[in-house]
Amino acid sequence: MATLVAENLTFAYTKKSKPVLNKVSVEIKPGTLTALVGPNGAGKSTLLRILQGQNTPDKGEIKIDDENLYRSRSLVALMPQRSSMNWKFPITVEKLVSLGQIKYSKSRSKNPFQIKALLAYPNSWINKCCELEATMQRVGIANLANRRLDSLSGGQQQRALLAKTLMSPAKIFLLDEPCAALDPPAKEDFLKIVRQLADAGLSLLVSSHDWGKSLNNYDQVIVLDKSVLAVGSPDQIKDQLEEINISSIKENNSCD
Amino acid sequence: MSFINNNWWFLPLIVTIFSGILCPAMGTVLITHKRLLQVNLISHCVLPGLALAYAFGVNPSIGGVVSGLLGSVVAESLTNRKSENYEAVMNTILAGMLGFGVILIPLLGIRIDLETVLFGDLFVANFEDLLETIIAFSVFMLLMAFGYEKVVYVGLDPEGASASGINVSFLNLALSFTTSLVIVSSMSAVGVILVIALLSSPTLLGLDKAQSLRIAMIRSSLFGLCISLLGFILSLLFNLSPGPAISVICVATLLIPKFRK
Repeated sequence: MATLVAENLTFAYTKKSKPVLNKVSVEIKPGTLTALVGPNGAGKSTLLRILQGQNTPDKGEIKIDDENLYRSRSLVALMPQRSSMNWKFPITVEKLVSLGQIKYSKSRSKNPFQIKALLAYPNSWINKCCELEATMQRVGIANLANRRLDSLSGGQQQRALLAKTLMSPAKIFLLDEPCAALDPPAKEDFLKIVRQLADAGLSLLVSSHDWGKSLNNYDQVIVLDKSVLAVGSPDQIKDQLEEINISSIKENNSCD
Repeated sequence: MSFINNNWWFLPLIVTIFSGILCPAMGTVLITHKRLLQVNLISHCVLPGLALAYAFGVNPSIGGVVSGLLGSVVAESLTNRKSENYEAVMNTILAGMLGFGVILIPLLGIRIDLETVLFGDLFVANFEDLLETIIAFSVFMLLMAFGYEKVVYVGLDPEGASASGINVSFLNLALSFTTSLVIVSSMSAVGVILVIALLSSPTLLGLDKAQSLRIAMIRSSLFGLCISLLGFILSLLFNLSPGPAISVICVATLLIPKFRK
């Protein structure tokens, strides 16, 4: 279990440009499913990349269980946006998922299989092989193991990508718009899986454009538009929505 | 040795076999990494290096590899694949570098058979050409032996690969270096321009429904070997220029997927 705390994060891509993020503070508690919502250009992907350690904030700090993020980077895994993946690459689902186990950086987590043990077989002996199988079963793609990635539907591809992310030795998982371009049933299916993962003890932060019924799946909602506009439970956020100026999000209600 | 001396076609045949296997395997990596424009760039960038190496008495192939790699590095520092001006910048650099090479030849007072450099002359391949092809082949095999998984990861998910600790820039540099080696080593077989066909068309056949990059590379290489040998034999039979003959066969193979359907 790990708690991620980020305080007063400020970030601009160049010295001359306006900050993409301005004094952003977030907290991800263990075993929670958090939604990060905001309009296009709100800084959601940038925030996720900073929380994963790919970008360094100009100001502010990130700690995981009181330890600096850069000393425990492997505890955070990022599932990238669909658009950053080369879906035509010749690879099977099983091989894609197994890539999640690969860590070339020196900072390794001491117990890479701890989290996965929680997923499906809490009392079983876990090795790399059955961990792979268990993770694929958990996200419902075990029967697709030998299929080529580009032969899958969008929803299946996203589940495969989620399984790959879950294979990393991380304790906190950041998912960058995993439901983008998914049809409503696939979206619902995906959210059900991430809900189950959170219930099993994983910490997940999921960025999204959606602003509607699907938010009820989450424990916590963070509304971001360069800075944090609101934080709270889905019900609290819906009450606050009227008070804050996030018209572009409201316009996106139809997506959900 | 006397066998080789008595059978002039033997060395060109071995070079054909190596190039026929190597180029499509390299091409498979480059196409799956969406780096085929880089091949075009590097193949046009080798000429200034060749000219300078001739002028200073260095092995021309070394000059070609350095020049090709340099062109690739310059291009990547000026633009990136996400930029909307990527193709325009790449094409400008490749045309400019070729032009620079053509300017250098008379300026340096050297004699280079441009036709041979650009389109190859397989039938006069010698031991040096064979050695260069074997070196390029060995470097490629080493890259695959020690970096296959990284090559797969970067081609599939560059951001994820970077996050997992892979030095993506270094891997791309290694790919550019190997590409330069492959292009220069294929100079005698098909020339630095026509090599693009041998890097591309067998790959399209090999990639179809392949379950992994490794399988795609093996299949591409088999197709490439068949194409190269067919070009070689037809050139012998009908007294054709082998490089252009292989390129024309490459174009013809584009019809194979149509017949499959």
